[in-house]
Amino acid sequence: MLTTIEKIIFIILALTSAGFTFHGFKVIIDSIRRGRPAPELKNVPLSLVKAAITVLFQRTIFKARKGLSAIHMGLFFGLITYAFVNLFDALEGLVPGFDLIYGGKHIPNAPTGLVNAFNLIADVMSIFLLIAITVFFARRFIAKDKALNYRENVLLNPKVKAGGQARDSLIVDVFVVMHVIAHVLSQAYRLTDGADPFMPFASFLNSIFGASQTGVHVAWWVSIGWVMFIIPYLSRSKHTHFFMSPINLGLAKQNPRGQLDPAIPLTMIEGQKFDPGAKHIHDLSWKRVLDSYACVQCNRCQDVCPANFYGRPLSPSALEVNKRYLLKDATFGSHPDRLLLPLTETVISPEAVWSCTTCYACVRVCPVGNEPMADIVDIRRRMLIDGYEIDSGVQNALQSLATNGNWMSKGKRLRGRWAKEMQFPVKNATEEPVEHLWFVGDTASFDERVIPNTKLVAQLFHQGGLDFGILYQSESNAGNDVRRVGEEGLFEQLVEQNMEAFGKAQFKQIVTTDPHSFNTLKNEYPQFGGTFEVKHYTVTLLKLIEEGKLTVKNKLANYKVTFHDPCYLGRYNGGFTAPRKLLELLGVEFVEMPRNCENSFCCGAGGGQIWMGKVAPGERPAENRIKEALSTFGEGAGDKTQLFIVTCPKDMIMYSDAVKTTGNEGRIEVRDIIQLVAEAVGVDEVVAAESISA
Amino acid sequence: MNIVVAIKHIPSIADDLPVKGNNVDFDSVDFVLNEWDEHSIEQAVLIKEAVGGTVTVIGVDLIGELDNALHLALAKGADKVAKITADDPAADSHTQAKWLAEAVKGMGADMVFAGVQASNDIDGQIGAMIAAYLDMPYIGGTSAIEVSGSAATVSKEFPGGVGMKYSITLPFVAGVQSAPKPPRYAPVSKVRQMAQTATVEKIAPTGEASSGLAFKKMAPPVATGHAEMIEGSSKEVAAKIVELLKSKGLA
Ligand SMILES: Cc1cc2nc3c(=O)[nH]c(=O)nc-3n(C[C@H](O)[C@H](O)[C@H](O)COP(=O)(O)OP(=O)(O)OC[C@H]3O[C@@H](n4cnc5c(N)ncnc54)[C@H](O)[C@@H]3O)c2cc1C
Ligand code: SF4
Ligand code: SF4
Repeated sequence: MLTTIEKIIFIILALTSAGFTFHGFKVIIDSIRRGRPAPELKNVPLSLVKAAITVLFQRTIFKARKGLSAIHMGLFFGLITYAFVNLFDALEGLVPGFDLIYGGKHIPNAPTGLVNAFNLIADVMSIFLLIAITVFFARRFIAKDKALNYRENVLLNPKVKAGGQARDSLIVDVFVVMHVIAHVLSQAYRLTDGADPFMPFASFLNSIFGASQTGVHVAWWVSIGWVMFIIPYLSRSKHTHFFMSPINLGLAKQNPRGQLDPAIPLTMIEGQKFDPGAKHIHDLSWKRVLDSYACVQCNRCQDVCPANFYGRPLSPSALEVNKRYLLKDATFGSHPDRLLLPLTETVISPEAVWSCTTCYACVRVCPVGNEPMADIVDIRRRMLIDGYEIDSGVQNALQSLATNGNWMSKGKRLRGRWAKEMQFPVKNATEEPVEHLWFVGDTASFDERVIPNTKLVAQLFHQGGLDFGILYQSESNAGNDVRRVGEEGLFEQLVEQNMEAFGKAQFKQIVTTDPHSFNTLKNEYPQFGGTFEVKHYTVTLLKLIEEGKLTVKNKLANYKVTFHDPCYLGRYNGGFTAPRKLLELLGVEFVEMPRNCENSFCCGAGGGQIWMGKVAPGERPAENRIKEALSTFGEGAGDKTQLFIVTCPKDMIMYSDAVKTTGNEGRIEVRDIIQLVAEAVGVDEVVAAESISA
Repeated sequence: MNIVVAIKHIPSIADDLPVKGNNVDFDSVDFVLNEWDEHSIEQAVLIKEAVGGTVTVIGVDLIGELDNALHLALAKGADKVAKITADDPAADSHTQAKWLAEAVKGMGADMVFAGVQASNDIDGQIGAMIAAYLDMPYIGGTSAIEVSGSAATVSKEFPGGVGMKYSITLPFVAGVQSAPKPPRYAPVSKVRQMAQTATVEKIAPTGEASSGLAFKKMAPPVATGHAEMIEGSSKEVAAKIVELLKSKGLA
């Protein structure tokens, strides 16, 4: 079809475009490679194939925003189709006589059926693409969807503030529209023998514009010319995600969710000394750098972030977007020096760094496998080493943890005091062998508000004939939150102390009250040689009931309850069923809150937030959660008591407070699941009376 | 600038304080760094960071466990540490002041800081006594110390929001009430690194002094009365409070 001169121009343009594209991706890959080593990945080809399948079915985006996701899926299939469309367009231009219209009748021996099918798909997809783009365009520029905005107090790269993302989107929107129309027109102008039933859209345009050789040439050049421009442009825009998200998904975290990457890479590079954590962008592992290129800038992570909800200056998506713009300014722009600015000045404010609850919601929801939370922990790690002035409450907690092994400034010897008040001796696991080593945790051991529940757990274990013991003063805080605050050295010290205690004890498995301890004991202690079976007390209780060692005597039909999944039990470790099963066995009326299981909303205490001395104004996540529970209950509980059930000692405190501060006393009550089990099973007099009234 | 900071190890009150005879049961109590000493170390390090110099931290090792506190001081920015190997947990503040003064004498200190008081004896005299032994001026209850050349400006805060600034010529001894900034956090990895690499200078205690005081009795205070907690819903509680106020003729 093309004249010789056109062919020469095409080849020159194609080579130039390829050159710019190659350069674009080389810059990106170099930048990613400058990141630190990341934990080793196993069987990468297989995970890449899996990721390709995930991408093909767009599985990960359906975790949120179902409607828009469906449209995105249309867009995605449209663009995939168009990759082939463009290939054939190029062939039509270069190979004389190559022409797909009318079932490819001009091509000798063409598989007519196949060609017709392709033509039909391409034609329909063109319409689809135009609709999808219109929806996305309307969403951003007409409806101005607030989910695409950032809070005023969030640190933003000046170019993002000035609307860089909107400009990128506009360019790509315009490209798709122009490109699709030009392509369909180029086909329409070819239809010299009237309508092709397999190309309804093109035939329709043909009925208006007719056939024209000049038309074919002009439309072809507009269509293909755009592609030559857009492909190198993509490497320099937010749409790099077309290429980088599938790769990122294929290289996503393989370790358990509850296992943080080390503060200093385990893979050493000769002659290179690493400080813990990250100050500059290339102190982050290469995977965290890749995250920023894979980021779709969709803000889904911001939607689910409890800190962002609370009005804190934290937005996980802004973090990724800022990283991206920082890299762009440094690599494609003229500011390589900016790479040496602290991340706390360029991508996330210090206040935002210290607002993260490490709830994992952002990582869970991200359709492309990004881990904004990991960056935050790494930045905290370096801030601590660099002597950044931290919140006084956090500092006090850490100092107490270093000297007393607990964050509450209590003496070690007081840890087992509650056990001495029981009516039966609670074994010391460092002195006699036990089957179950109960790791009680700080809050359950020391907090007067929670100790009555701790005693109930002990009582029911005892009644259920469980052979258990505790470590008394040899137990130290497990270190889960210490690690997430960024105090890696203290975490290691606590692990050593606990490992020493475990070494003195004889036991078959560990059972914990606190989901935070549960997480680190289960997922992180193995790296320090601590490979034991770890269970949460909800699982142990369920087993005791299922095996008939505890019997439900009174069904609790007088309660209408909902259940809050603690981040570190649920989202991190998939412990969704045991608590629900227990509630079912107890005979309560159970209703599920809209945000449940994987999508549970953090109480706001994790990642050291519970230690913070300063409390920010605004509606706290826990308060929002209590409101969610109440609206789930609706108005019709009748004479039933409405209960908010928790399975984490910290939740007991957070939510009891929230019920008070939202003025909902009398409407809803916070109870640990153990209180219900105790009521249903019935506990032996003495301790029960004392514990429940306490 | 040569700053010496005297620190004190005191029994921890995180646990219930164990009493034996007429004193603390030193065998079953943990020792921790006196709270005000964190401020005097911070004050010294801040001055060093502002004008340069060295910070030496010295303490009396009462039970052979002072090293932890010294490593912590190094992690926070001290340059040298020393301990007076006394091994006498009951040594009173007069005795400790004498030992410290003797040890500091040869160090050529421009400034000696002590915490303004320690919560084990609430005596508040060690700084002043060191000053007396070294024949240096003493200023207590400081809230900020800034050094320029051979003089220092010392701030103190008084009740009622009144502040005062003093000018003082080096050398001098200060009882530090608080540093101008909260004492910094020392990450455990740094403390542990110090524990592995640092050398602690050992100094034998020299000199003798005594407060002339003897412990007569130590016992937990006996409660003589209790506050009455009003139980019930907020309405019931409010009603009872109103009733009470009325019965006392206050409403
Ligand atoms: C470390 C420390 C902690 C402290 N903590 C507290 C606390 O928690 N609560 C609290 O209330 N106080 C506290 N104080 C203050 C303390 O209780 C007294 O205020 C202090 O003993 C007064 O001595 P001075 O050296 O500060 O004052 P000075 O002015 O030297 O002495 C005042 C006293 O000396 C006598 N005096 C002075 N001049 C004369 C005169 N011309 N004629 C007769 N008698 C005279 C009087 O008895 C007078 O009360 C603390 C002091 C220190 C050093
Ligand atoms: S981990 Fe939770 S709090 Fe932290 S950035 Fe992600 S969503 Fe926000
Ligand atoms: S990090 Fe993931 S969820 Fe957040 S904006 Fe980027 S792509 Fe979306």
